[in-house]
Amino acid sequence: MTPPTAVGSARPEVVTETVPRRRQAWIERATSADHKSVGMLYIAAALTFGVAALTALVVMRVQLIVPENTTMDPEIFNRIMSTFAVTGVVLFAIPLALGLISYISPLQVGARGVAFPRLNLLSFWLYVAGGFTIYGSYLWRPSEAGFGALPALSEPLYSNTHGVDAWLVGTALAVLGFVCFAVNMVATLRTMRAPGMVWRRVPLFTWAANLGSYLLLVCGPVMLAALVMLFVDRHYGGVFFDPGYDGAPLLYEHLAWFFFTGVFSFIVIIAAGVISDVLPAFARKPLFSHRGAMACLLAIAILGPLAWMRNMYTAPIPTAFLVFAMLCAIALTVPIGLLIFNWIATVWGGTLRARSAPLYAIAAISVMTIGLAGDLAWSLIPVGWQIEHTTAAQGATMAVIMGAAVLGGFAALHHWMPKITGRLMGEGLGKITLVPILLGLYVFELMAFFAGVKGQPVDIYKFFSGEGLDGYNLVASIAVFVMAAGILVELGNAAYSYRHGVPSGHDPWEAGTLEWFATSPPPIHNFDVVPDVRSSEPLYDIRRAIRDRTHAWRPPARAPAPQPPAPEPERVGGESGGAQGGAPVA
Amino acid sequence: MLSLALVGTASALLAAPAAASILGPTAGHSPNADDIRTAYWVAIVIAALLIVAVHVFLIAALVRFRARRGRSPRPFTAGARAFVRPAAPLVAIAVGLFVFGIVMMTKAREVQATGSEGLGADSDLVAQVNGLSIPPESKALNINVIGQRWLWRFEYPGGRPGDRIFSYGELVVPVDTTVLLHLTSTDVTHRWFIPALGGQVDALPGQDVGTWFRADEVGTYHGQSTSFSGSAFAAMRAWVRVVTPQAYQQFIDRKREQLSAAQDYVAKKLGEGTAPGATP
Repeated sequence: MTPPTAVGSARPEVVTETVPRRRQAWIERATSADHKSVGMLYIAAALTFGVAALTALVVMRVQLIVPENTTMDPEIFNRIMSTFAVTGVVLFAIPLALGLISYISPLQVGARGVAFPRLNLLSFWLYVAGGFTIYGSYLWRPSEAGFGALPALSEPLYSNTHGVDAWLVGTALAVLGFVCFAVNMVATLRTMRAPGMVWRRVPLFTWAANLGSYLLLVCGPVMLAALVMLFVDRHYGGVFFDPGYDGAPLLYEHLAWFFFTGVFSFIVIIAAGVISDVLPAFARKPLFSHRGAMACLLAIAILGPLAWMRNMYTAPIPTAFLVFAMLCAIALTVPIGLLIFNWIATVWGGTLRARSAPLYAIAAISVMTIGLAGDLAWSLIPVGWQIEHTTAAQGATMAVIMGAAVLGGFAALHHWMPKITGRLMGEGLGKITLVPILLGLYVFELMAFFAGVKGQPVDIYKFFSGEGLDGYNLVASIAVFVMAAGILVELGNAAYSYRHGVPSGHDPWEAGTLEWFATSPPPIHNFDVVPDVRSSEPLYDIRRAIRDRTHAWRPPARAPAPQPPAPEPERVGGESGGAQGGAPVA
Repeated sequence: MLSLALVGTASALLAAPAAASILGPTAGHSPNADDIRTAYWVAIVIAALLIVAVHVFLIAALVRFRARRGRSPRPFTAGARAFVRPAAPLVAIAVGLFVFGIVMMTKAREVQATGSEGLGADSDLVAQVNGLSIPPESKALNINVIGQRWLWRFEYPGGRPGDRIFSYGELVVPVDTTVLLHLTSTDVTHRWFIPALGGQVDALPGQDVGTWFRADEVGTYHGQSTSFSGSAFAAMRAWVRVVTPQAYQQFIDRKREQLSAAQDYVAKKLGEGTAPGATP
């Protein structure tokens, strides 16, 4: 979009002595601090770890397919189980969200980059180093200390292998990376928005990115502190969590649950942001209430992590604190309910194009609703005493995380793949694979719920026959296999479309947000012209301006005068503001 | 919408007995377990209604407002005022659930006194256990439950001083008797959970955490620890055998005799210098 009419004025020039030689592609990719490149690295790494998490889930379900199965040693199962949760949440769900944020959010606010590009790149490499540290321990002996390495089990007395150390260091590196990322993104979104892009006009996905970055900024260091304290306990004679020396294992649980509950809210918020951007684009109708959705997300970001003790109802904690946790957990009903209402009201009265992206988004709403309603049911303290730590609670948590990260993630990939590559993801294949993924998730949740209310605990490597659990576990395993197959095919779809997808053009969805103002894929500086934003859907304004001028335009009756016409740059969406000249149209 | 909800509720009520066996926990056999089940059913029905309501509207929107030839979207937006009406029922549900949750929690923690068929046990051991309100005339039976990887040890009152009667794996208690459990652990965190006799409670090293039950029927109830504790975690199961007070007394007497006999045997062997582990 270089101004074609800038004939008479001085042209900007870049003078350089030598052009730096272009290095090999992978070096460029690994060292480029461009936020789009970092975003793609994040997405690729996250999807890779997602496959690892999926594999772990399938392997665990193979072990639990029949009662008293002896396919696997308990130690092997516990190793896989201990890395599964951290892979699914810390190495897959969060980084996938961060990749999308890093790529899309600066574009959505009309920024030409991010505030601290190298910090952004560093955050990615810290995260990958963390992932490799955790998986590197498979060469030796990985952690067997459970999903969160809770003391006293993770104290050296009971886990005297270096697997727990690898787990601690790897998780800490990844979380440190996320905190670096959050610093960069908070600064970027505070300071680098386009003129006119005030907070109330920021697209929902970027608003979610902003809230999510603050969440990571608050919750990440808490987890880092807990991990460091545990490391001190293990190696430098600390007794923070050692009950033998009056340490408090419960303290670690508090810190870890604060982080994990914050991360849970983070995942929900980012998925909500994706859905809130996808639905209006495909229903051809603005979001029912932009500010209402913003307020709902803010409420979730505040109430979510404050409810961390809802996971600790069985611990000896003073009743007042438990009631506070229950209050926050139940109060979440209101913003989450209003958010869903907002989505339905957005589709209502619109014309929903049944493409893959909105279908995945609606599937994500469905699955997340089921999981969150379940969470609501057992956020009542007495119900929690019955359900927490059983597969029913695990099923609900996984419904939310899978609904948000997998279904919401695929909705985002379908929506933004044309932005990233200029190519569509396979639409037909996407719709077909949605069926096994969704069916598998529903059935798995239902079976986990049935088994959980009968008292099957999470994390067990076997269950016993004669307790009425055989059928549930068998069906749950089959459901997980079906779902995993669907997810793998859909991932293959994404991988194939990256290079071989159908070319989509620059603006396939005609969405209202600014990332579609740039070309697809965007140039390194994102925008030749930073537009002046006048509403929460600036691209509709720009398109309207173009349409008005092109439709109203008539060919001149006579040939124009021979002298060059006075260049009168017409600004898009109004005058003033932009650092550069306006984008001439017509 | 209302009629739909009514029809749903009615059919749910009709199918309740059949569904209860699948959708609900195993039957409770203790007052606190019954309170937990009441809370469970109310919460799960409300959650189910929320899920159904969301899906009805979601599917309706998906079906009615698909893109078709000649239809153009009706763009409407709203401010915060539009949220007042949908927020009202949500706030009502939240407040109702919150108050109900507190009521049921308090109720489940109120330790009830031993019934008429129960064993009038010593209540002099009762200390104030966290969160539980224990009436002074409860005549409760105090039992120490000690989690260790990967089994449970139960210590009963009675027996020689400093030498409590104990059993592993299976807890034997008299029916209709209030039983106060004092949970602790010798190694890592465990969690006591017998679904028919109340909710889960952590057994933490170095802490005395209390819970209670009063079994209403003779029988054996089963459960297992729900806190991951290492390799054989899945095998850390527990059984509670509820017997008549007479049978309980016999059990305690037999245990006491066995313990005495064993200790006498050890003492004798020690005197001879041939006890296992004793250095000659």
